[in-house]
Amino acid sequence: MAAPDATGRVLEVRPLPLRHFLLRIRVDGMEPAAPGQFVMVAGADQAEPYLRRAFSVYGQEPGREGTLVISLLGKVIGRGTAALAAGTAGEDVPVLGPLGRGFHTMAPASAPDDRSALVAGGIGSAGLGLLAQALARAGRPFDFYYGGRGAGDLVEADEFRRLSERTGGRLVETTEDGAAGIRGLVTEALLETIENGKARSAPAYSAIYTCGPHGLMAAVARIAADHGIEGQAALETPMGCGYGACLGCAVELTKGGYALCCRHGPVFDLEEVVW
Amino acid sequence: MSSEGVGSGPDLSTRVGPLELRNPILTASGTFGYGLEFAERTDLHRLGGLVTKGLSLEPLAGNPPVRIAETRGGMLNSIGLQNIGVDRFLDDVLPGLVGLPPKVIVNLFGYDQDDYVRLAERVDPHAGVAAVELNVSCPNVSKGGIEFGHDPEILRGLVRRVRSATGKPVVVKLSPNVTEPAALGQAASDGGADILSAVNTFVGMAIDTNTRRPVLSTVRGGLSGPAIKPLALRIVWDVAREVDLPVIGIGGVETVDDVLEFLLAGASAVQVGTALFRDPRTAERLVDELRDRLRAEGVASVRSLVGAAARRE
Repeated sequence: MAAPDATGRVLEVRPLPLRHFLLRIRVDGMEPAAPGQFVMVAGADQAEPYLRRAFSVYGQEPGREGTLVISLLGKVIGRGTAALAAGTAGEDVPVLGPLGRGFHTMAPASAPDDRSALVAGGIGSAGLGLLAQALARAGRPFDFYYGGRGAGDLVEADEFRRLSERTGGRLVETTEDGAAGIRGLVTEALLETIENGKARSAPAYSAIYTCGPHGLMAAVARIAADHGIEGQAALETPMGCGYGACLGCAVELTKGGYALCCRHGPVFDLEEVVW
Repeated sequence: MSSEGVGSGPDLSTRVGPLELRNPILTASGTFGYGLEFAERTDLHRLGGLVTKGLSLEPLAGNPPVRIAETRGGMLNSIGLQNIGVDRFLDDVLPGLVGLPPKVIVNLFGYDQDDYVRLAERVDPHAGVAAVELNVSCPNVSKGGIEFGHDPEILRGLVRRVRSATGKPVVVKLSPNVTEPAALGQAASDGGADILSAVNTFVGMAIDTNTRRPVLSTVRGGLSGPAIKPLALRIVWDVAREVDLPVIGIGGVETVDDVLEFLLAGASAVQVGTALFRDPRTAERLVDELRDRLRAEGVASVRSLVGAAARRE
């Protein structure tokens, strides 16, 4: 699991609505990330922010001469993300990764009832990017539930529509203000589909994968448990180092004790976590 | 290959009381696990020494989240002394460290004097352990170490008991959260300590202005990183001048100038901590940069710098 500390060259900083941004970084000698894995990115400025920031690897493609070009989706929240969003193409930034453990996809590809629900809240969609691509490549059907406060939170809706429809699935958009898709919470839309499926005595989903705000993932975990569906969540916690040294990213486990989000996770089985 | 101590390059070796180190760069407790986990991220062979995560008699799960908060130029932590326990370290981890060039210093903490004594006794027979460092200043566990490091009488008594429980060099890691850390250093010296390390983290806190609640689950945490370097440097200066024991400087070390400042203030070696979180290779980089710097300035040995700033007064 060696993850060398590499130097990345920023290729693009693309501003997106509502202070979102997409970073494309070319990294020398980085192994491709598995769906759900993350990288730690330092700002070009040594002093501010001091610690690196964790980003899900949202997309990746081979670059020239054995490099890897990774895409990271971010939202300006504090000083760290502000510094990264203010970066410019051509800058060099240290990138550590890929880190952590990603999603394990549960149903065999040929299972007749194989259909997944991917449930993202806002920028949490970044944590499901590689998973959606992998499922689409494998031809495994999934619906993508994408929730936000407003339309501007659904930054990559077109991409997830394309990927889900390729598998025969669909994109379900929800916004709390009703500006796009269904008005309400994304978990309500998920629950409705599952309950309707029940009425037809066919399980709607064989697995649920989620990434987003804590409350959303907790609600997804409840729904999954209530309906006996297996699932996993890509968690986000404050991280100091991302590689297991600082012990800062504790996640409380149902079996007792804590696991480090950066090493055991960031992907956890839904029933593993004390929500 | 590195060649410190021989040939034409500057001599990086340093003596810290009974400890002979090949270079003055160590990793600080709680920032480098138990050493081996990060062999893939850093070249262990290059370090002068490493200090383990604090070990207790029994394993500890640590504090609930949120455990860390970034601050300007540093971070607060309230990990809660999560560790695998001394026995598992000695059985499973230490054998993998034996024979590597860095000196292994085992950081110990307990809830009463007997704990410390038992820990020292457990470690004592293991030849792979170069020294023990007593955490008497961790601000995270309210019923734990904080009293030991804050009261000269208690500290002297504790060190005396540990001293008689082990033949290993005893390092006492001083708390900065007292009016005169040097007075506590003197108490540790009176108790029989061989070396002082200074300093542990500064007690601080952060508030989330969105939730309007303290960020850390324990409210208080220990501040570390470049933000504390001038504060730590002042304490090292005082301790080195007022206590007749060698000192290991700790606090925000990240650049070669930080290393030089601590040496000039009177430290015989330094520990690198929080900077490892930003860059796991900070310690080995500092070894290279220190060698280059001494060579460029025509300084023959690290030892000639120790305390040099005080000699010019």
